Amino acid sequence: MAGPVLVTGMGVVSPIGMDLTTFAAALLHGRSGVTRLSDPAVLGDGPVAPLPPLDLAASLSECAALDRESRERIVRAGRRSPLPVRAVLVAATQAWQDAGLHARPVAADRIGLVVGGHNLTAAYAFDQYPGFLRERAYLPARYALHVQDTDHVATISQALRIHGEGCTVGASSASGNAALIHAARLVGAGAVDVCLAVGAMVRLSPLDRQGLTAVEALAASGAACAPLDRGRGGLVPGEAAACVVLEAARCADRRGATADAELSGYAMALDGNALAAPCVEGEVRVMTTALSRAGIDASQIDYVSAHVTGTPAGDDAELAALDRVFGLGTRPPWVNATKALVSHCFSAAAVVEAVATVIQLRDGFVHPNPTLTDPVDTSLRLVGSSPVRAPLTHGLSNAFGFGGFTSSVLLTRT
Amino acid sequence: MDAMEQDRVLAAVRRSVAEVLPELNMATLPVEGTLSDLGANSIDRAEIVTLAMEDLAITVPVVEFQQVQDIAALVNLLRKHA
Repeated sequence: MAGPVLVTGMGVVSPIGMDLTTFAAALLHGRSGVTRLSDPAVLGDGPVAPLPPLDLAASLSECAALDRESRERIVRAGRRSPLPVRAVLVAATQAWQDAGLHARPVAADRIGLVVGGHNLTAAYAFDQYPGFLRERAYLPARYALHVQDTDHVATISQALRIHGEGCTVGASSASGNAALIHAARLVGAGAVDVCLAVGAMVRLSPLDRQGLTAVEALAASGAACAPLDRGRGGLVPGEAAACVVLEAARCADRRGATADAELSGYAMALDGNALAAPCVEGEVRVMTTALSRAGIDASQIDYVSAHVTGTPAGDDAELAALDRVFGLGTRPPWVNATKALVSHCFSAAAVVEAVATVIQLRDGFVHPNPTLTDPVDTSLRLVGSSPVRAPLTHGLSNAFGFGGFTSSVLLTRT
Repeated sequence: MDAMEQDRVLAAVRRSVAEVLPELNMATLPVEGTLSDLGANSIDRAEIVTLAMEDLAITVPVVEFQQVQDIAALVNLLRKHA
């Protein structure tokens, strides 16, 4: 990277908090957003962590620092959009305000936008299908726009008047880290001065749920959302959207923006494997590469936000990789799983977890995992039902996806 | 009968405009103006037309809307198919 890339703003809507402050308090107290599905006939009856009801205008009125004209423009851009787009719009606007881009602006063509995620409109398209079979002429006129993943980028750019480089990036459940890494590169290369990295909300369609059930990934009825615990029962789908504003240090200096963290290193790699199978070697490789690119030794890492989703194969592979990278140290890092609280938010997961990591670095705690009572591994410092107060400087956030996508992002408190 | 039909179609158009452009006051929706005058962009206009067709339970070939310039012409075209 040409110069430091800083985190100058964050936003999140999630099952455990619809803004940054509520989300941070929920992390500290280990509040879980897991519940049961209300429509078992269509969707099955497994656990899930749905997004609470979201009213676009009401959510934006919480962004009180924005002027009324801006809020109205943002509402107008997204009020006809499907829920996932409205969710990212709220998270992006929160991050925009948190970064002070409304008060101390940056030229529109020097701001970029990368949305991490793909197959984001499957539930929307599925919902249109019964109506389409009855009368195809009544398909919503906005379908051609709304069915494209890129509508997320388009709508945010119109709402926030972003004119720099923008696109979606996809890497299965590592899409959030792909967005952070792509955004960091755009800033580092000087293509833009500021870049929003967005983790897009995924709402599973019934087909998606059945597909995950068929590969034995999804938690069944009665199963707990318990990554790293012997009682784990598979992954629990969650719904969240998050946004991190990355900014060149010289730009943040110029406009007097404060940063809670630096995105100090990253790595992303392929396992050369199209299956839904984890790979210890690949996971070790991205963690050690992220560390070496940042010039940080494994012994300096205070905290790891593990990818662990609660599937035995995935959890065990990551624990083995963590043992390889950190296990020989005298002071291994604290490890927890934000998925124990918000569940697996797929495309959004790694951005949600980056936000959680920065909050923990900033506030000096490691959030609890209330469902971790019987750990599958005891060689690492796993956090159980109580939060741990600790000064944290370096935090590593892992994200792995079906098809061999492995990634790790290093965040350092500033 | 004709006036009643006109009112029924206009009411459906007003409902569709209200759904897509909720900031407008529907009591004063002018028939002589265009949807663009009201602040509708191209996709808003297409959505209003689709919603009005669904409201009236009719279908109008897309090509016929190419000649429609204002709200009065839209109401007339929808009436023809109602």
